[in-house]
Amino acid sequence: MALKSLQYNQHTFDISYEILNPEAPIDLIILPGWGSNKELMKGSFAPYMDTFRHIYIDLPGFGKSTSSVALETKDYARIVELFMIHINASKDIILGHSFGGKVALLLEPKVLVLVGSTGIRVAKPLKIQAKIAIYKLFKLLGLKKLRSLFVAEDAKSLSEPMYQTFKNVVDEDLSDDFRSSNAKTLLCWGDKDTATPLSIAHTMQKLLSDSTLKIYDGDHYFFMKHAKEVSQEIENVFLQTLEHK
Amino acid sequence: MKLTILFGGASFEHEISIVSAITLREKLSTYELSFIFCDQDHKFYLIDSSKMKANTFSKGEHKNMPQVSLTNGYFEQKSMFGSTKHAGVVLNLIHGADGEDGTIASLLDFYDIKYIGPRVDSSVFSYDKRYTKWLCAAKKIKTIEYEVLSSNEHKNINMSYPIIVKPARLGSSIGVSIVKEESELDYALDVAFEFDKSVIIEPFMCGIKEYNLAGFMAKGEFHFSIIEEPQKNEFLDFEKKYMDFSRSESVSKAELNSNIEMKLKSTFEKIYKNLFEGALIRCDFFVLNSEVYLNEINPIPGSMANYLFNDFEASLELLASSLPTQRRAKTNYDYIHSISKAKGK
Repeated sequence: MALKSLQYNQHTFDISYEILNPEAPIDLIILPGWGSNKELMKGSFAPYMDTFRHIYIDLPGFGKSTSSVALETKDYARIVELFMIHINASKDIILGHSFGGKVALLLEPKVLVLVGSTGIRVAKPLKIQAKIAIYKLFKLLGLKKLRSLFVAEDAKSLSEPMYQTFKNVVDEDLSDDFRSSNAKTLLCWGDKDTATPLSIAHTMQKLLSDSTLKIYDGDHYFFMKHAKEVSQEIENVFLQTLEHK
Repeated sequence: MKLTILFGGASFEHEISIVSAITLREKLSTYELSFIFCDQDHKFYLIDSSKMKANTFSKGEHKNMPQVSLTNGYFEQKSMFGSTKHAGVVLNLIHGADGEDGTIASLLDFYDIKYIGPRVDSSVFSYDKRYTKWLCAAKKIKTIEYEVLSSNEHKNINMSYPIIVKPARLGSSIGVSIVKEESELDYALDVAFEFDKSVIIEPFMCGIKEYNLAGFMAKGEFHFSIIEEPQKNEFLDFEKKYMDFSRSESVSKAELNSNIEMKLKSTFEKIYKNLFEGALIRCDFFVLNSEVYLNEINPIPGSMANYLFNDFEASLELLASSLPTQRRAKTNYDYIHSISKAKGK
């Protein structure tokens, strides 16, 4: 592991990262999801794709990377971009899981790999809508203390700036960015994903100009069991970009 | 002999300390041992000897064991009806931060507890590799040339490759890398900066001879271990060193001429004297063209370098019987009394 300090908007961010296959000529940036970390991603993908230089990054506020301010998705993209300049990495392939997928999209890589990615707003299930309505009512009644019963699993135990960040990024819709993306895109999804249901992938496919969808058995973390197959797909898609030239 | 092994600590080497303690439990089988674990939140737990297994700590089972706290002269276990004393000599076996940076030494000195381990001043000089260089310069001991880099200041290096990059304040090869060309430097520095804001770099000399010598002073005399030439493939990485910490098999003596052996021992004595009394330390040396260079001082070596001693139990007992005593200022308020008298009050 390694740590690099960056300045962005007058704030210092310590970015924890790790590089595998440092000699490899093609860069593969891997971005974990919300609340996740590079070790989880590395645990899945490290044994494969050894012709790529793997760059695992903890996004600011997660893993061992720090953030003391509230951020938006585009800030995440700019920070990762800045970091990439520092380590002299190119945007050959960027893989993002879940929230990391949105960040990857905004980075406009040559090959975009979205693994159970967010970025398309879906209607909230009735249960969640009811929870929000009830809490808003409680808030009116001055029962703010009950917040912990209602707050989303992903938002629990977040620091104040990260809670603000959560609110900034949670229901975002990046349809326009998907529509304008020129990246060769590989969508990999778990068929039993409840966090980012498969319907999201279908919507993304419609918006993206050049995409392939691969569906695997499993939930939001299906890639942990299918890393080998996913890796092979990534290599195939990357090879196709070479053929075009 | 009765001995309390203090291990754990809030350090990058926390887990290594656990491995060290488990190893010593085997190596000191004729001792009457007790174990006190310092967790990452600086709480002390009395660990049942039969529970001295790595899993106990990784699963958090130590939290179900009795907590102890420091008080004047001993560790105290409070219970519903009074308290139990855990007195006797402590072996400070906390590697890295807390144990080797002088924190534990201060604590034990303050509470007047006898311990085997480096005192505050010796910790300062051995914990930070920059200060070890200064110590050696003052004592006219040769070290490898070096430069200091800091994470908040960019500067060019004036050294030709290959070089070795080390965090200033860590042992066990954590965060250490060998850099063969400039393009690899940035990452190697970031790896080291994860552990410390200050980093030292030295030329990496392929084929340089490395020798380890452990020892201590007791009853006015030096007692040395055998000299070992550590096995290395390029250098000991973390995994290897980690294995090294659980070492218990004895090693064979390094083949070296008596002149070098004398030089190693006299250099050791120069470092140790008037600074490391009370500790069993291991010095790692380089030898190049019959010249001895000090590489680093380990004031709490992994598993106390037991594998380098012919009779480790007897050695440790000898050291325990010859620990430095502290001189504490006696206050009898003479000065205030005399002023009070003069004022006629």
